[in-house]
Amino acid sequence: MSTSFLSVNDLKVHFPTEDGLVKATDGLSFDLERGETLGIVGESGSGKSVSSSTILGLHRGSKARVSGEILLDGVDLLTLSDEEMRQRRGKDVAMIFQDPLSAMHPYYTVGNQIAEAYRVHHDVSKKAAKARAVEMLERVGIPQPDRRVDDYPHQFSGGMRQRAMIAMGLINDPSLVIADEPTTALDVTVQAQILDLLQDLQTEFQTAIILITHDLGVVAEMADDVLVMYAGRAVEYGTVKEILTHPEMPYTWGLLSSVPDVSGDPDAALLPIPGNPPSLLNPPSGCAFHPRCTHRDKVAGDLCRTQLPDLVPGPRGGVHLKRCHLSDPDVIYRAEILPEIAPDLVEEL
Amino acid sequence: MGAYIVRRILVGAALLVTMSLVTFLLFFATPVDYARLACGKTCQPAQIEEVRKSLGYDDPVLVQWGKFMKGVAVGREFPDDPALRAAAPQLVTECPAPCLGYSTQTNSLVGTTIKERLPVSLSLALVAFILWIVVGVAFGVIAALRKGTLIDRGIVGIALFFFAFPTFFVGLFLYTYFAIKWQVFPIPRYTPIADGGVWPWLQNLLLPGATLALFYMAGYVRITRAFVLESMGEDYVRTARAKGLPKGVILRKHTMRAALTPLVTMAGLDLASLAGGAIITEAVFNYQGLGLLAGTAARNGDLSMSVGIVVTLAAFVIAANIIVDVLYAVIDPRVRVG
Amino acid sequence: MYIGRDLANANRLFYRSLVSFPLSADPKEATTPVPDLATDTGKANADATEWSFTLRDGVTWQDGKPITCEDLKYGVSRTFAQDVITGGPNYILGYLDLPKSGYDGPYKKDGQADFDKAVTCDGNTITYKFNKPWADFPLAIASLRAFDPYRADQDKGDKSNFSVFANGPYKLQGTWDEAQGGTFVRNDAWKQDSDPLRKPLPEKIVFQQGLTDDIIGQRLIADSGDDQFAVTDIPVLPAQYSQVTGPIANRAVLVDSPFTNYLVPNFKTITDLKVRQALLASTNQEGWIAAAGGDKAAAPSKSIVNPALVGYADNPNFTYPPAGDVDAAKKLLAEAGVKTPYKITFTYRSNPTRDKGASALQNTWNQAGFDVTLNPLPDTYYADIQKPSVVGDVFWAGWGADWPSIASVIPPLFDSRINLSAETKGQDYGSYESDTVNKLIDEAASKSTVDEAAKVYAQIDDQLGKDVAYIPLQVQKFYLLRGSKVGGYQAGAATSGYPDLGTIGVTG
Repeated sequence: MSTSFLSVNDLKVHFPTEDGLVKATDGLSFDLERGETLGIVGESGSGKSVSSSTILGLHRGSKARVSGEILLDGVDLLTLSDEEMRQRRGKDVAMIFQDPLSAMHPYYTVGNQIAEAYRVHHDVSKKAAKARAVEMLERVGIPQPDRRVDDYPHQFSGGMRQRAMIAMGLINDPSLVIADEPTTALDVTVQAQILDLLQDLQTEFQTAIILITHDLGVVAEMADDVLVMYAGRAVEYGTVKEILTHPEMPYTWGLLSSVPDVSGDPDAALLPIPGNPPSLLNPPSGCAFHPRCTHRDKVAGDLCRTQLPDLVPGPRGGVHLKRCHLSDPDVIYRAEILPEIAPDLVEEL
Repeated sequence: MGAYIVRRILVGAALLVTMSLVTFLLFFATPVDYARLACGKTCQPAQIEEVRKSLGYDDPVLVQWGKFMKGVAVGREFPDDPALRAAAPQLVTECPAPCLGYSTQTNSLVGTTIKERLPVSLSLALVAFILWIVVGVAFGVIAALRKGTLIDRGIVGIALFFFAFPTFFVGLFLYTYFAIKWQVFPIPRYTPIADGGVWPWLQNLLLPGATLALFYMAGYVRITRAFVLESMGEDYVRTARAKGLPKGVILRKHTMRAALTPLVTMAGLDLASLAGGAIITEAVFNYQGLGLLAGTAARNGDLSMSVGIVVTLAAFVIAANIIVDVLYAVIDPRVRVG
Repeated sequence: MYIGRDLANANRLFYRSLVSFPLSADPKEATTPVPDLATDTGKANADATEWSFTLRDGVTWQDGKPITCEDLKYGVSRTFAQDVITGGPNYILGYLDLPKSGYDGPYKKDGQADFDKAVTCDGNTITYKFNKPWADFPLAIASLRAFDPYRADQDKGDKSNFSVFANGPYKLQGTWDEAQGGTFVRNDAWKQDSDPLRKPLPEKIVFQQGLTDDIIGQRLIADSGDDQFAVTDIPVLPAQYSQVTGPIANRAVLVDSPFTNYLVPNFKTITDLKVRQALLASTNQEGWIAAAGGDKAAAPSKSIVNPALVGYADNPNFTYPPAGDVDAAKKLLAEAGVKTPYKITFTYRSNPTRDKGASALQNTWNQAGFDVTLNPLPDTYYADIQKPSVVGDVFWAGWGADWPSIASVIPPLFDSRINLSAETKGQDYGSYESDTVNKLIDEAASKSTVDEAAKVYAQIDDQLGKDVAYIPLQVQKFYLLRGSKVGGYQAGAATSGYPDLGTIGVTG
């Protein structure tokens, strides 16, 4: 029994469709403490967004079949009634969505939508809720918040909208915040400001944050732990420092290759992962990544194709888990991958 | 906004003037000799010419239209022939501006007749409108929430059935069974509110209203269903759920609001065209509204009445368009103009 | 007002005439005028070119003022104001003895002096002077309302059309809505002893217009509430015949109407008599009537003249069976020596019933050796077929006599002199032109009694039959329902086949 603030155990989210069962999330486990950030990384369709909306209980009312447990402060969210879950939603667990232009209702003022989030969990007057919204807007750095509170989303800039979205997510001081690609649509400067803001607020409120992104650069800056997902499963899980310096799964290598070099080496090659994300309806046999894996020949006996590897500690041990048949991934990484993506780092390590 | 509305009204007025001219031109473009029609079967050519003159149909079309426009602007006197007016003052009918003309077939000022008939059509349109909006939207929402189930298919299917079924038969069926055979309702007869109060007015309107509503409902069920479904998949509805809002609030405040825009467009135009009369329903229930008036005028070749009705109806549609556009701005802040 | 039932209803309720048809169910009696406002049925001079009537004492308008000879004169004068009052029967224009320069009515008053000479008042006696004999003038007075008195101070010209200033036992309560109807109540100024005819029974009579035929049938069949006191002039629809059984059938009558349907061959295109005879021989009246709804809707006819009219006789030329004689027609076509199939176009006024009837006719004609193309036309039909340019070898038409006399059937339809001109065929849709017929029409018109005229008309009808100037189709019948609490019900020739509002009362 875990004692972590948030503990997700063997979470499965399956959608029955006319064509068969879609296993969007298939046996996901992780832990998260207060004041810490978990980065969940993966391509679209890897199950990262589905997993986090399930934590929020957004699957309820759909056809999704959910099993496993989601313990928040010792309470299994999956066993709560719809009404109990609704009361926690937005209050204990909040979500910050990407693309706030579509995530905010175009017909209501920003202030109205933020205040609404407050009033649903606090029995206060509209006026008080609005005052609270102004206060939150100010905290997230919106200039002239008492005036902008009456603006509509389309009157805000992209960065301001994202700030407003954060204000909406944090207005009830939630203990767990799920931020789904909060900076994707923003330019680099604004991106940095938003991430700084999130970090400041986290420090202030000791919030646990799940940061969903496909950008390992963002993870490097924000997260304490990182979970790499592929085809609904965790394929690598560990501290940020460990994973970024000693990645042991070829898929993670691919992700690293496709990130513009954080250290700013202009010569570094940007290598997209070949092939397409797998179908969740008919996932590949064995290791789901094997059809795209350039290293599968290094494993004897066609094992990658026939057998699903377990998520187990790698050769470096500790809390670094990986789901891969390769026996000496660290060696391959340093010899073949690192020189390609960050030649200047080879010497250091 | 104010300037925008003024501009729209001016454009609308210009459109009305054009519509009236087109009606005159179309009327005389048909091969039918309306003077002969008005004169009757036994008329000899000389009498037909007399009638043509007394109806003013012997003037060039543009002159006739000019007289009409002048009447609208400053009013007119009928009969048109000044000699006749001078000889027999008891025949003169004063038609103050905006004068829509004088019908020699109904022997009344067009404006007066339209004013008499309008309440009938408006009442019918209003009751039908409320019925189909309430029922159509409610069923549309239910169908959307139960998407893919038997309930959904049932609702959409029944709505389509009534849409496809001729209004005439639906009306006759309701009249025959509910009023005559089972006597659930009184024999429908238009009863102005001024005569008997709201309840008799409404009670008499329920059957014809339902007839129309059943026809129009299908569109509203489908559009509501489609837009609620679309809206339910929108990110902002997910946001609303993530905030912990109760289902009812989400549906009312977030989902429905988005379906409002297409509903307002449809409802505005439907209501406007219905205010101009629903000829079949009016005929079945003997509701003497603008629809029947227009039908009779067209059949009898009553130019004055036809023009008056066309202009009135066009005015409704133009006004409805302006109102719908203004409502857009009220509903959707993104549309608001300076 | 120019529709049979309105004319009849008006006479019974609120507009009295010099002479009227009696409240009789017997066809002969019902079409013989009796004195009403006048003291007798009129005095004519020897050649029937001058008619005089004397007003009865004590007859008044609804405001109590007496009806005067001037009122009668004014009523006639209005018909001449063709620029004010359009439509309606205007036979008087052709009969009254006025110079060609004309008279334009009581408004502009051009030619008023001439009119004052043609219609004169001597105390309570009015005298009409005609330019030719008008033997059945009393029939016209009783049938039409154009010779009724009219009060000048109540005249608003065209606007008067829907107002009623009564002199009969009922008067209009409020206003008449031309679309919805109106309510008539007792006229207190009317005195029973001044009226030899009417016996007002119901307190109030409500006219409801605009209902669909289907609904009227349904409501009378259901017979509930106020509908138990209802009568209608709308025949039951064929689709509802099956519901009129048992006790409901006791509330129905089947009466002959004054309306006939007939066909006219186009004399410009079918010039060969034998071909016209073949057409006549193979005309399937039965099929046409079956389409109209069968024997409750119509009966086969033997003349264009309605059997209800004074002086009616079967036309001796129409001897073929109602279903047509295809073999006789084939023989006639062979005798004509024309190439068969003989192509013809049948032009008619379209509605679903007539479409069915037309195809029944087409069928039999085709069997006889014709090749028939149907040409259904819309509601502007009569205006269309008056044009000389209209396409058609056979035209359908319907006719109802304006007054129950052959004089209101044959001359308006077959006198080529009043109908045919370069611009129009008038009502002689087949462009039939016969000097023989025209001469006989003049002869009939010169007769000073209806019976003498009838003999001449029989000759004319025979000639028309010989020439196949027309082919009879049907006499329309009225299958009329009434509510269960209607008493004294009667519908017949006196009221053009419509329910006689002069006899109806309520029971129970």
